[in-house]
Amino acid sequence: MIRALFAAALAAFAVAVAAGNSETEALLEGKMPDDPAKPLVQGKCLLCHSADYLTQQRLTAAQWEKTVDKMRKFGTPANDEEAKLMTAYLARYWTQDLPPPRPVRAPAPRK
Amino acid sequence: MSLDRRRFLAGAAAAACWVQVPRFARAKGAKAKGKDYFLRATERPLNYESVRSTFTTRITPTERFYLRNHFDLPSVDVKSWRLKLHGLVEKPLSLSLADLERMPQVTVEAVLQCAGNGRAFFAPHVPGVQWRYGAMGSAEWTGVRFKELLALAGLKEGAAFVQLQGAEKPVMSSTPQFIRAIPLAKAQHEDTLLALRMNGKPLADTRGKPLRLVPPGWVGDDWVRALVDIEVRADEPKAFYYDPAYRFPTTPGAPGAAIPADQMKPMTKVNVKSIVGSISPGDVLPPGRHELVGVAFSGEAGIEKVELSFDGGKSWTQAQLDGPSTKYGFRLFRHPWQAEPGSWQVACRATDSAGATQPDVPVWNPAGYLNNAVDRVTVEVRS
Ligand code: HEC
Repeated sequence: MIRALFAAALAAFAVAVAAGNSETEALLEGKMPDDPAKPLVQGKCLLCHSADYLTQQRLTAAQWEKTVDKMRKFGTPANDEEAKLMTAYLARYWTQDLPPPRPVRAPAPRK
Repeated sequence: MSLDRRRFLAGAAAAACWVQVPRFARAKGAKAKGKDYFLRATERPLNYESVRSTFTTRITPTERFYLRNHFDLPSVDVKSWRLKLHGLVEKPLSLSLADLERMPQVTVEAVLQCAGNGRAFFAPHVPGVQWRYGAMGSAEWTGVRFKELLALAGLKEGAAFVQLQGAEKPVMSSTPQFIRAIPLAKAQHEDTLLALRMNGKPLADTRGKPLRLVPPGWVGDDWVRALVDIEVRADEPKAFYYDPAYRFPTTPGAPGAAIPADQMKPMTKVNVKSIVGSISPGDVLPPGRHELVGVAFSGEAGIEKVELSFDGGKSWTQAQLDGPSTKYGFRLFRHPWQAEPGSWQVACRATDSAGATQPDVPVWNPAGYLNNAVDRVTVEVRS
């Protein structure tokens, strides 16, 4: 694949390959890795918006903590313990260093 | 709009069709297909940005115009819909769509850009919808002058702000409603509209049916949609989406720095910006002549010049500006590029009539607003 030569376009791909890591690849496609905290996030964080709101972020642990806190103020039904578990999960995978998400080309949505 | 202007617009659109617009092809899953005019940022609520090749026409076709929503789309029954105007007024109003349609209609050409357009490129990253380039577009907005409605209601002494709320509602009542306010002076500006139409057609659900605020030159957070309630006030509202949200530091700090709340002020004007639309990162072009086409705009000022660089910003050449100048809309620019084989970074930078120009790197701020850094696209030229 000739386009793979373009460092800029495929930096993300290169990182994934270097890490030899299909998990990174899955993350870049917006998938949520399996984890004891995953069902918690799925149960609480997808009540108002889709998962891509979360999976496109690239944040520090402190930014995730603030975000989860904000979402609790918005109405997320989670106690302190659950919030901690969700924050740890989000901060473990969707870090500042994770390459950008893969762009998804789409037609206008049918609403 | 005059006939001449219509002709010009039609001409501009036709001209743009001759331009060879290479497909945005960048990564797996990003291949162009028919009407795949968008990059999906989020599925629910609908946040879709326009692909780069959109930015080769002066007016952005509605079907290619980006979508931005805080909440799910409201469903508005146009027959029973009323706009309420109350607060510091002599005579509160409750108006139907027919009432508004009977008033004189004015058309303004203006850019609507999301405050967070370009957020994805801030370092360090900041939370929010990760818009790349395409959360912007320019349209012709038609409707009633806001100041005429305000005059109908009659302002009381002390009126200073106008608070706006649309029909959209969050999923849970514990989530703040989308409430915004603009200073009375902007509401009374003769170009500020309550728009019923976008590019000649009644507003669709996704565009704020049946009525939206159009404060031309100002950032998208003020363009409240599906308007139902307008309150004339003496003070600013205490509402999440007005404070602390949608604020920009008076004195931006170092990247990553926290800014004290009293130094965060509401955004007003869009800052000067340009983007090359006829090429996309990773494109492979044959050697030879290519016409580079893009758009430039700046809040309440016209575009003075657009410059292009092919050598990492060492030297700049001026592009040609198309069509009449515009205070609020996209100004098209063109440049015939004789492309030699190699890897090229094409940079573009606009300067507005007030002398403001684009920075090399975005001005970092905690919410990732108003990224107007010089646009850079790297392409490969080979046969
Ligand atoms: C009560 C509804 C609700 C729930 C539940 C919810 N969110 Fe949100 N979330 C919102 C709203 C509203 C926004 C702002 C949407 C916009 O303006 O585009 C948002 C935005 C976000 C953003 C973008 C950054 C920002 O601050 O705007 C992230 C990240 C996010 N949510 C993560 C989460 C996570 C993680 C959870 C679970 C812990 C969660 N959300 C649960 C309503 C909710």
